Parts: sequence; C-alpha cells; structure tokens
Amino acid sequence: MDRKDLHTDHDAEHVVDPGFAEAVICADCARSDSAALDVEPVDHMPIPIEAINGFEDGVPRVKRHDRRSFITNGALGMAAVYGASKIDWTEAFEAAKAEAAEPGSVLVCLYLNGGFDGMQNFVPIANPDFGHYSTARPNVGRALGASAANQVGTTVMPGTGGQFGFANVGVSGVGNNEQTVGFDTIWGNGSGAGADMALWPAVNFFQNSSRSHFDSRDYWFRGTTDDETETGWLGRWLDLYGSKANPLQAISLSSNLSKQIRTKRAPVSAVRNLNGVEFSVSNSGETDATEVMGSVSSVKAAKKNEQLNHAREAYNRTVRVARSLKTLENAPAGAGYPQSSLSTRLQLAATLIGAGLGTRIVTIDWGSFDNHANILNSMDPQLTTLSHALAAFRADLVARGVETKVITLIFTEFGRRVEQNDNGTDHGTAGPMMLMGSRVNGGLAGDWPGIAPGQRARRGDDLRAANDPRQIYAQVISEWLGGDANAVLPGRPAATARPIIG
Amino acid sequence: MSTRVLRGARRRRLRRPLAAGPQKRMNKVMVDRMMWRTGFGPSNADRKKWIGRSVQDFVDELLTTPQGGLRGAAPYKQERDDDPRTPLDPTEDDTDLVLEWCDKMIRLKNPFAERMAFFWHNHFATQRSEVSPPQLMQQQIDLFRKYSDLVANPAAKFRDLLYEVGEGPAMLRFLNGEQSTKDEPNENYGREICELFAIGILDRLGRTTYGENDIKEISRAFTGWEIEDDDPDNVKAIFNEDRWDDTKKSIFGKKAAFRHRDGVDAVLAHWSHPYFIVTKLWNEFITLPPDKATVTDLIRTYKKGGTQIRPVIRKILTDPAMFANVEPDMIKPPIVYSVGAMRALGRGITSSQLSNALDEQGQEPYFPPTVAGWEGGLSWLNTNTALARFDFANALVNDDAYEIKDPGSSESHTAAFTNAWNAVGRPWLAPKTRSALLFFSKNAPADNEDDRIARQRVLRTFMVGGPDGQVM
Repeated sequence: MDRKDLHTDHDAEHVVDPGFAEAVICADCARSDSAALDVEPVDHMPIPIEAINGFEDGVPRVKRHDRRSFITNGALGMAAVYGASKIDWTEAFEAAKAEAAEPGSVLVCLYLNGGFDGMQNFVPIANPDFGHYSTARPNVGRALGASAANQVGTTVMPGTGGQFGFANVGVSGVGNNEQTVGFDTIWGNGSGAGADMALWPAVNFFQNSSRSHFDSRDYWFRGTTDDETETGWLGRWLDLYGSKANPLQAISLSSNLSKQIRTKRAPVSAVRNLNGVEFSVSNSGETDATEVMGSVSSVKAAKKNEQLNHAREAYNRTVRVARSLKTLENAPAGAGYPQSSLSTRLQLAATLIGAGLGTRIVTIDWGSFDNHANILNSMDPQLTTLSHALAAFRADLVARGVETKVITLIFTEFGRRVEQNDNGTDHGTAGPMMLMGSRVNGGLAGDWPGIAPGQRARRGDDLRAANDPRQIYAQVISEWLGGDANAVLPGRPAATARPIIG
Repeated sequence: MSTRVLRGARRRRLRRPLAAGPQKRMNKVMVDRMMWRTGFGPSNADRKKWIGRSVQDFVDELLTTPQGGLRGAAPYKQERDDDPRTPLDPTEDDTDLVLEWCDKMIRLKNPFAERMAFFWHNHFATQRSEVSPPQLMQQQIDLFRKYSDLVANPAAKFRDLLYEVGEGPAMLRFLNGEQSTKDEPNENYGREICELFAIGILDRLGRTTYGENDIKEISRAFTGWEIEDDDPDNVKAIFNEDRWDDTKKSIFGKKAAFRHRDGVDAVLAHWSHPYFIVTKLWNEFITLPPDKATVTDLIRTYKKGGTQIRPVIRKILTDPAMFANVEPDMIKPPIVYSVGAMRALGRGITSSQLSNALDEQGQEPYFPPTVAGWEGGLSWLNTNTALARFDFANALVNDDAYEIKDPGSSESHTAAFTNAWNAVGRPWLAPKTRSALLFFSKNAPADNEDDRIARQRVLRTFMVGGPDGQVM
C-alpha cells in the first residue's frame, strides 16, 4: 500500500466516523510522513546495478562508477541528493569505497506514522494497571491469555516480570497465519543478550510535548521542541561526523528526504524505489514479454561485432535486473517477509546496507496508526505485518552477514489516550520506542509510569512520559554511531544509566 | 560425424563475408545497411530497386538525387482524443521545435541531407537550453542543411561551414563569442574549435596538437562579434571593428593581425585538421576503424578538394569496410532508431510522444548533453535506454489508432511470424532471433481472435524494439 492509498483510507475513515468530530483535530493529516517538503534535491545520483546482489569483495568497484559507466550500464535506481551542492559521482563513490572498506555501524529509523497506540501492543497485564486498562478500554482493550479468538488476547512478555503482554496479533504461531515469527521471537527471553529488542514503553518530550501530529513529528525528527531548529537530529550528527562526499551515507526510502536526516552541509539522499524494470507489450494477454526477451537477448553475435553484442547484452542485463527486482518485490517465500510496502522498504534497506555503499543511516516511514476509530480492525493487521516484517528484516540482515552492524530504532510521534473513544483512541502523550538488533541490550529498558488516573499526564488523560526521546538518541550517538551527544542534542535531559548496546 | 561436418559447413556459409568493393552487387543485407547508414532505413520499394545493383550506383544516386518534397500528412499534436489538433509552434514550444525537425526526417523521401544536418548538429553541438530565442537554433540547423544538401551544393566546403558557424548567432551566443572583445577576449569558442570542431587533442600518432597559448591567440582573432536580436525572426551577427583586437597574433606558426576568417584558415592549416575531420566523418558511417592507407587516402582526397565534403563522403560510403561484419555492427542512434521505426510503420507525428521517447532514449535533438555532443556508440544502450526503446516500439505497434486485424484461425505459427515481419517492414533479424520468435509463436495461444492479435502484437513489438532492431 503506498502513501496515497493509506491516505485515502484514512480520510474516508475520518468522514464516516461521527465519533471523530469531537475527538482531536487532525488539521495536519495531509502530512502523513517525515518528509521535508520544502527542500529540493540538488542532484540525482545513480545507484549502481551491482548493488542488487552486493558488490564483489563487498565494496563498490569505484573505477567503473564514473558518469560514463552509468551511461553504459544503466542504474538500478536514482538517489535524489540533498544537503550538499553539486555532487561529484566519482568522489562520492570514492568516499563510499573508503567507508565500505571499514563498515561503520548502521542505524535504521522506522517511524510508525500517525501516533502508535503502545498499549494495544505492549499491554499492561499486571494489576492494578490491567484493571485500569480494562476500565478505560472496555471495547478495544486486550484480554489476558489466548482468549477471545486470539484477536484481543495477550502473551506474557518474558523478562518484564509479568508486567506486560504482547498483543497476540503480533506474536508467532497464535492467530498469526501460523507464522513462526513475531515480536516474541525478536524479544526472546527479554533480558540483555538473550533479547534482540529493547522497549521503552512510555516516551515523549518531558516538556512541551504536543498532541498535534505535525508539531510532534517535527520535535521527534529534529530532536528538540525548538521551532527555530531546521536540521534533523541525525542531520546534525552527519554534519559533524558524517562524510562530506557520499550522499548514500544517509538514505530516506521515500520520494522525499526525511526531516530526521536533514543537514546543513553533509550530502544525504532519498531513494523511492529501485526501477520498476520489465518488458511488456500492451494488450498481449498472458504473455511474459520479459521471458521472451530473455531468449531473444541471449543470442550471440560474432565476437568482433562489439556493438551488436553490446545491444543484446544491454537487453539481457535488463532482463536479469527485472528478474532480480521481481524477487525483491515478491519477497522470496523463505525470507518470510509479508506482502507489504514495509517489507519492500526493509528489503531495499537490507539490499543497500549489504551493498557496501557506505550507508550509515536509513529512514523509513510506515503505517497508518491514527486509529481514532475501528482500532482493532485497522491496527491489528498492521501489527501482524510489522512483527513479521521486522523478524524477516532481522533474518535478511543475518543472511547478508551485516546484522551485527545494524540496529533499528522504531518510534512514533505520540501515544494515545488511556481511555478509548467508542472503538478507537485519540491523540495522547507517551508512546513506545523500540530498538532491535542482536547487539542491543534487550529487554525492558525504560520506566513505566503506570496508568492509574492519578499517574496520568494532561489532567488524567494521557500516559505520562517516563523517558525523553533525546535520552535514547543520545545513547544511540554515544554508544552506536559515535560522537558527542551534547553537540548534537543540546539541552537534552540527563542520560539514563542502562546501556543500550551490550 | 556427418552432423558435425554439416554444422561446420552451415556456419561457414552464414559467416561468408559480404561482397566487398564498390562494383559488387548488393544483397538485401547490404541495401538495408546503406539505407540505414545514410538515412532512416529502407522501404520494400528501396530494396526492390537496389538489390542486385552496385554500391557505386547507390552512392552516385544518393549524391545526385534531390530530397524531394514532404510526403504524407502535416504534423500536429493531440494529447487526448477530445483535444483539438494543434499545429506545431516551434518558436513557442521546444517540444514542437524538436518535433518539427523529426517530422522532416520522417516525411522526406530522400532524407540523407537531414541525416547529415544532424551529423553537423552533433559535431557543432549547440544547446537550446543555452541559446535563445529558438530562432537562432533553427537558423543554425538551416546552415547545416545548406552544407548537407550535396545535390544543391555539390562543392560544399568544411572551411565555409566553419566560417559561417563561427559567425552564426547561435554559436556566438552559445560559446560567448558575443562577449569576446579586445579588452576581454573570451576563450570558450577558441578552445572548442581546437578540441572539438577542427583539430582534436591528439593527432594520428597520439601527439599533442595545440597548447593554451594557441587558444589565447585564436581567441583574440575571433573578437569583435556582436548579435543584433531585436527582431527574433531576423537575428544577425555583426562584426564591430572597435571591439576587435587589431594587434598581431601568432597561430600555428603564422603571424598576422588575424580576423575571424583568417583565424579559421590558420586553424584549418593545422597538420592534424584533415585527419580529425575525415575520421569524424568515417566514424559516422562505419564501425570498423579505417586502416592507415585508407586514412592517408581520405586525407589526400580532402586536401585535394580544398576541404570539400562530398568527395570524402563518396570515398567513405564506397569503402568495403562498410560490410566488414556480415551482421549489422552499429547501434542506431536514438534519432535513427525512432524515426526509422516510424517510417517503417508509416506513422506520423500526432502527439509529443516522439520527443519524450527521444529524451528517454538519451538523444533529444537541440539538447545535446554537452558541447561535445552525444557520446554515442556503446553508450547508447543500457538497462534504462533499452527499456525506453522497447517501450517506444510497443507504443507505435500497439497504437489504438492502428487496428491489428485478426489473421484468422487457420494462421500457422510460421505464417503469424511472416505476417508480423511484413507488417513492420521486414527488418533484419538474426537466424537465432527468428528461431526464438518462432518458438514463441508456436507456443503462444492462438485459439481465439484475442490470442492471435496478442501474438501479432508481441511479434511485431519484438521485431522493431528488440535487440536486433537496435543495430544497422
């Protein structure tokens, strides 16, 4: 489902749901992702064909990646370049080669769009919170155990002392198309090295947090609630510690650049997708023209006839790229990716990270979690997809031999109210943050403020923030990406003691 | 054992060289090649006329037959069915500027002069994006036409062409000649005349041909030109003596107070100029590099003719190297491929489709990527442009305005192949390509009308837009 489709659904939902009118105003609903729409790319840079299967020796063969070779070979896709002025491709690939030779740590940022209701996925199943939860959410709240046709049941999260349970729609085996992967397989035993995921269940800015999608997103992407700041928190890190020549060091998998990696000077890029390559003949029924082209372009010419050989090879290479991309689009069965635009983007992220292009940061926006109404029907399939896709992504990175170099930060702009509105939940304050990767110090990493009416924020409405996103951002910088967190996140609250890596 | 012998014999027969030499009689492969290299491909009538006749005869006629008028309906644009048909407006819309030229290539009976004009456009690559008003570009292409119509202008000389290009408003604007004065000579054109237009960086022995000082001296000789462009339809270049550097210049050993034309003469007197220009012309027509004796002969011909173009072209076109490969051995430039496909299918310009297609294929007329023109050769085809070429063939073959009739239930798979081949002008297909397409034809469903028409669509699209359609 692409962004446009998501929006159509979303808008329709707003229109048909009368309960929504008295809820929170979504004035900025048109802005459904982290895109910085006011910046234009300064250039476009091709992603070499070879990236599809990784480069020989794991590094781009730079000599071949000058402008001329792209003209001859063609490109797998184009990266829109932002930040820097005109890009010198040769210099960019020289930089990529240098970085790929000693691959740095990689951060994938997955932004769950619309305000993800953490309590629908990480359910407070211990009393007294579960009692408050059930009272606050009589229509949409989860039940204990594998009850209620699994749709609203929960599975205890190991390592949390029985405090939290996963919604069953996001775990393996149960109510889950019999898949054997889900949040629970990533979570493991929920303790340090035994868990590939850390969870902060209640995160938002301690001061000045906003219930507006627009404002809150901007705060999270900028890493500050200061409206004067234009750069993203990762953009500032890139300006200080990133490459001055390689736009592929930070990639938004989108048509537009994410505000998270918006820089002042460092080159960064946006890649929408790899080329949709296939041969097709209009109105030709079931014919697979790419298959026919495969045989026609395999014909050999006399050795000395360089140009005829080249012509056939160009077509044949296109056939091969089309087949490879098809594999990518249709997620090989063994890889376990579910059919989803999230999978496509995570696979693309894995491909680019595995290609050795010097990529340090990838941003992905996904989902439609602004579930004011009908939350079970619209959120639950997304939870299933999310859990499957993350598990598949982890396996994909392992298969490419890069998993220990990658951590994935998953967040949303705010959580939802504690109390339901009929069959949905409205904009709230604290939401969940997750960090995935085998290097991650897994388990419950953040505090839980509790949801008794007296423990809530905003006059008893919202889950209170127990952690500030900048605490986690700062640890990502100091423990993973490298660099001085104070320089990137001035005025941040004091760090917590628990390491995120290890 | 007998099979092996047969196979060997068959292979030898297939690879037998084409008849070499200007007096030899041409077969279909040779006629097709001559028609593609000097135009936009053959019609069946052309083949009927030339098969069995000599290359010499063909070249004689090519160089003595006028272009003839434009055939067929005038071009227009209509992007949707319910839109009105709008005539092209080349000076208002750059798309129309492109289409207007392409239309000439499509509709002229003998388009050799247009093909040559395009050669000069590539040689003196001037970018519309840098040159306004567009009338200047039209003026420059008309100048190229004058030196390309070797029937009307049989003694056309490169020297005169270079004079006129350098004094033409388009080039004066493109390479800053209009800003070049005695106080501030601009070296842009002086540099390119050496590097790209007349001399080349290296001579035939690989030696450096000129230095920075030569560029400075040449540039001083070219000062003093201005453009009068109050009326866009009547733009003129004017020599202003006051802006010209009247002091002595030293160009390649000659010293004088050179003006533009004297400066051009001095450049053309450079030892490497004849080599540069005859090899550039050769490469336009023939893939195999010329051997030493041929280069020497071409240089002699060029010098003897006092920089005349026609005798050199005659020699190149009658050279046996044209047929060094039995199979077509040159990738069609996008303009040749696209215009050729439209001629073969009998299509005219009815939308902006062709201009978009040329852009996607990497060769939009009037918009060369740099002053060096299009790189050409192997660089024409990559995964993106191969797809763009195939898509263009698909758009032409399966244009809704041209119905493909049901060939009927009795049509065999071989008849389907022949039907398709005839419909797209019987283009060259390698024997193994034929086999691959026949294999498809045999296995494609043909039970009902839709199936049979679909089979035609696939066969025709592949014959035009497949790899074999990309070479000439």
